[in-house]
Amino acid sequence: MELGTESSAFAQMSHATQTLCNPTLQSWKGQGGKVVGYFCSFMPLELITAAGLLPFRIRGTGSTSTELADAYLSNLNCSFSKHCFNLALAGEYDWLDGLVMFNSCDALRRTYDYWVRRVDTPFVKLLHLPKKTDAPQVAFFREQLADLRTQLEREFDVEISDTRLREAIGLHNETRRLLRQLYQLRRVKVPPITGSEVLAVTVASTAMPGQEFNALLRTLLKEIESRQATKAYRARLMIIGCELDDPRYLEVIEGLGGLVVGDSLCYGSRTLWHSVDEAAEDPLGALASYYLAGRPSCPRICTQYESRDTYVMKMIRDFQVDGVILERITFCDTWAFEGYSLEHDFKDRKIPLLVLEREYNHLGEGQLRTRVQAFLESMEG
Amino acid sequence: MIVGGLDIGSATGKAVVIKDGNVVGASVLCSTARPVETADLVMNEAIRQAGLSSIDHLDKVVCTGYGRLSIPFAEENLSEISCHARGAHWLVPSIRTVVDIGGQDCKVISVSEKGTVLDFKMNDRCAAGTGRFFEAMARALCCGLDGISSLDNQGDEPCTISNQCSVFAESEVVTLVNEGIDLANIIAGINLSVASRLSSMARRVGIVNEVTLTGGCSKNEGLAQALAKKLGIELRQLPQDPQIAGALGAAIFAGERLEASDDGTS
Repeated sequence: MELGTESSAFAQMSHATQTLCNPTLQSWKGQGGKVVGYFCSFMPLELITAAGLLPFRIRGTGSTSTELADAYLSNLNCSFSKHCFNLALAGEYDWLDGLVMFNSCDALRRTYDYWVRRVDTPFVKLLHLPKKTDAPQVAFFREQLADLRTQLEREFDVEISDTRLREAIGLHNETRRLLRQLYQLRRVKVPPITGSEVLAVTVASTAMPGQEFNALLRTLLKEIESRQATKAYRARLMIIGCELDDPRYLEVIEGLGGLVVGDSLCYGSRTLWHSVDEAAEDPLGALASYYLAGRPSCPRICTQYESRDTYVMKMIRDFQVDGVILERITFCDTWAFEGYSLEHDFKDRKIPLLVLEREYNHLGEGQLRTRVQAFLESMEG
Repeated sequence: MIVGGLDIGSATGKAVVIKDGNVVGASVLCSTARPVETADLVMNEAIRQAGLSSIDHLDKVVCTGYGRLSIPFAEENLSEISCHARGAHWLVPSIRTVVDIGGQDCKVISVSEKGTVLDFKMNDRCAAGTGRFFEAMARALCCGLDGISSLDNQGDEPCTISNQCSVFAESEVVTLVNEGIDLANIIAGINLSVASRLSSMARRVGIVNEVTLTGGCSKNEGLAQALAKKLGIELRQLPQDPQIAGALGAAIFAGERLEASDDGTS
């Protein structure tokens, strides 16, 4: 049975992934709450939460065209940046009270340049993200966050005290702990939840007030405890790659019999595998250290290929993964470089790897099916 | 045991009938707008050749190609990648690399000693280096697909066609025509540009001898010659029409699955 009909908690989360301004967000806004958007998973959510604001991760959900954004962004910018910016230009992000961006990649860096000039978001801030994770970079990142803290305080007329930061860290750590619990359920032979369902949950976690999300997730965890996952599968897959917020993509893969049991995604395990140090004397320092260096990294960090590789290999073992899919939005050079190394290393280790290029918000279902089906067939020999 | 294989592609439908290990019927037809109709037409022709009167006489049918999901009389579907590998390997067991160039896809498949897929690469969402590309070029040159294929038309000084996009390449070709460039050199340039693209795809997979071409575009002799030259190898010719390799593979799978299920029930 569809999880959405079994569980109203899941139905709410799933709905939140399919919309931008979901009902919990609307009621937050209705009560006078403010929302600060962010693009990149490097953004320390605790800083926004501690300011009494709601962090919301920007998506291009529902966008069907990039004609407005095409006037600014070039043919070499990825479709993710274009769809998001197109929505902003069309007024679909008018409810944002602020936006914090990083120089995550060239496409998003350029999106900032245009956003700040063409969209009337009241507060837009660009932060600089280091490319290494050693002590000097963590210290630099802490300075960036300290600067953001001051600006958020000034803009929204609040005080972000260390105490409030610690409370926010506690709240978001609880989300991570619950999500890890969900992930652990996928290690067994017949997981009670599919990869596309898990993606709907993790995407929802970036679009709702923390407390409400945690309550929903607790309910869901209880509900699926005794769930009988009925569908037989042909292979256990792990999905890694760039920005993926559309559960339908994994649905196509799972519809062919490739059950997704693990991932290395920024809407997935990488953002929840570890927790922020709650006992640290300097909570801001703890955030800088965690977000930059304390969790499985994204290829945006240049010096951590080995640690990422170790992380993926461990998940392959722990979750009994038969094959790996690397998905990448066309023109994502961050993942193109990573993919090059991965392809060679996986071939040497004889781990089946399928590299898929995709467009944001376009399933390209026929071509996706052909590739995944052939991949599954090749694993069966 | 009589089994059928269907390959409903973007440009053509292919059908093969195998009786007791021999190909007794094989046909190729242009795709209609309705995959089911294409399947009916092409399979009925293969069946006629096999001396049968109805699709019902087939013990099992496996379908591949873009239309593989929609054919009511096919019990199973498999990807065209597995089917081309299996078909080519069945015809020539020493084949280790298959370059399949179809109507809207081109792919390079690395094949095991058993005929299974080890690895593959496909073009991404673009008609460059496929049948659609050649159709557009033939239109721009008013020479027909035969004109592009014929070895008599492959000039000694191929033009450089820098655009891989069919639309842009077409305007590039029109420019060359208007500059009065010898048609044979333009044709050679077109085949060379596709051969370059295919050879880099093949290098990404890794070229292991023997290598063969399948799919409709394998009939383009100019392209085959250019590709062999690019890769520095001799391409192995298949003893059957290489366009039916996918349908043949599907039929072989149908036979194998049938045998396996018979073993299971007896």
